[in-house]
Amino acid sequence: MNKLMLILLLLPALAIAADGTLQVQTQAQKEVTVVTDEGEEQTRLVPVTTVVPGDEVIYTITFTNVGDQVAQAITITDPVPAEMRYIDGTAFSAGAELQFSVDGGDSWGVAEELIVSDAEGKPRPAQASDYTHIRWVMRHPIKPGQRGYARFKAALR
Amino acid sequence: MRNSLIRLLLLLPALLLGEAALALGTVAGTAIDNVAEVSYEVGGSEVTEQSNMLTVTVAEILDVVVTLQDPAKPVSPGDASQELLFTVTNTGNGTEAFALVIDSALAGDDFDPTPSTPVSIYIDTDGSGDLSAGDTQYNPGVNDPSLAPDANIDILIVNDIPAAAADGQIGRSLLQATATTGSGAPGTVFAGAGDGGVDAVAGNSSATDSDTGEYVVSSVQLDLVKSAAVVDQFGGNEPVPGASITYTIVVTPAGGGTASTSRFNDLIPANTTYTAGTLRLNGAPLTDAPDADQGQLVTIAGAPAINVNLGDLTAASGPQTVEFTVTID
Repeated sequence: MNKLMLILLLLPALAIAADGTLQVQTQAQKEVTVVTDEGEEQTRLVPVTTVVPGDEVIYTITFTNVGDQVAQAITITDPVPAEMRYIDGTAFSAGAELQFSVDGGDSWGVAEELIVSDAEGKPRPAQASDYTHIRWVMRHPIKPGQRGYARFKAALR
Repeated sequence: MRNSLIRLLLLLPALLLGEAALALGTVAGTAIDNVAEVSYEVGGSEVTEQSNMLTVTVAEILDVVVTLQDPAKPVSPGDASQELLFTVTNTGNGTEAFALVIDSALAGDDFDPTPSTPVSIYIDTDGSGDLSAGDTQYNPGVNDPSLAPDANIDILIVNDIPAAAADGQIGRSLLQATATTGSGAPGTVFAGAGDGGVDAVAGNSSATDSDTGEYVVSSVQLDLVKSAAVVDQFGGNEPVPGASITYTIVVTPAGGGTASTSRFNDLIPANTTYTAGTLRLNGAPLTDAPDADQGQLVTIAGAPAINVNLGDLTAASGPQTVEFTVTID
């Protein structure tokens, strides 16, 4: 019994050593509409491993405080895959300020500030499809045992 | 710290994948990787964590478009081996072979053309747009054309026209192209059957498409009557050197159907010289230069000739009268 307790106590310590305070997990899902036994339509998220052009994929980044200290000044950064087009207005995270990059992550701004060059080299306001990276700057710390997530939707080009 | 984080992001494989061939969508088999990063402060020090690498793979979408390239083709009853030209385009995102089928027994027309034997589908290998010696016979299951994404190929279907087909009647024939991987309602999945073993999925075309062409029986005939009037320089009608000859040619369309883009050519007779500015169509003068009007002087096999574009003629067009004058050398 004592031995078992000892092992159990050691496991979280090992996990912290390997993964740090925040564990980060990314998953890709698709929205599907299913009809329940009661005949109601429900939208569910199911994991995807394959996509076809035009498909919309929901990327969800989950971060869990597995340590014993508060994590502060949390920033989540995720590239929009080159084959994907970010869908305007879909980046979401509770209590976060959203920033975007249109130059591979070199510079960042809120959506209204970003400028790109058009085909003739003239500057124009960036569109959602121009975004290369999304960043969530969390306003609140995450306490041990708490979990947060960030999410966006992108369509395969 | 933040800068090194960004550099790391730039190195991620997802950003390094090629952008080639995105015209019709990301190519089948492409692996799309994604790694998120989280930076934070804990106990006064800054930490960066990477997520798992998430990979989604692009499945093959099966789509095809068949497009007729010919307008209605004028034919005569009993004509053999009359071709219609189509283009088959792979609008999917993988390399796909397409099975081709001809169907000439269609409803809604006046007669059924007969697919020519032994072969009624040809690949227009020489790109001529019509059936010629350089074209390749299509052999189902043997040389189904394989097309890269966005690529297309010209296909000819060949029919014989029944001798009993009557003037003005229309006969239709179609070409259908179907993905050899499979076809079915949009969204139908063929597990593991796509390029490189990815899933293949029927696209909006259901992975099959067809287009229909038509033959129009046209027995229109153009009857020509040519007459000549000689005026000599002495006030008589003797064909002597210096005398002028005015030729009048009346072209009369008869029968059913349309004689498309009809042209009338007439060589200037030997030992005569065309009199500039004398070309007329239905009484209206035409210039000698090749310009916007319907007439011009041309050279046919090294000899001078007049040329008049009569356009599309039907029996309703009525007789067309061409006149020109020459001088005897």
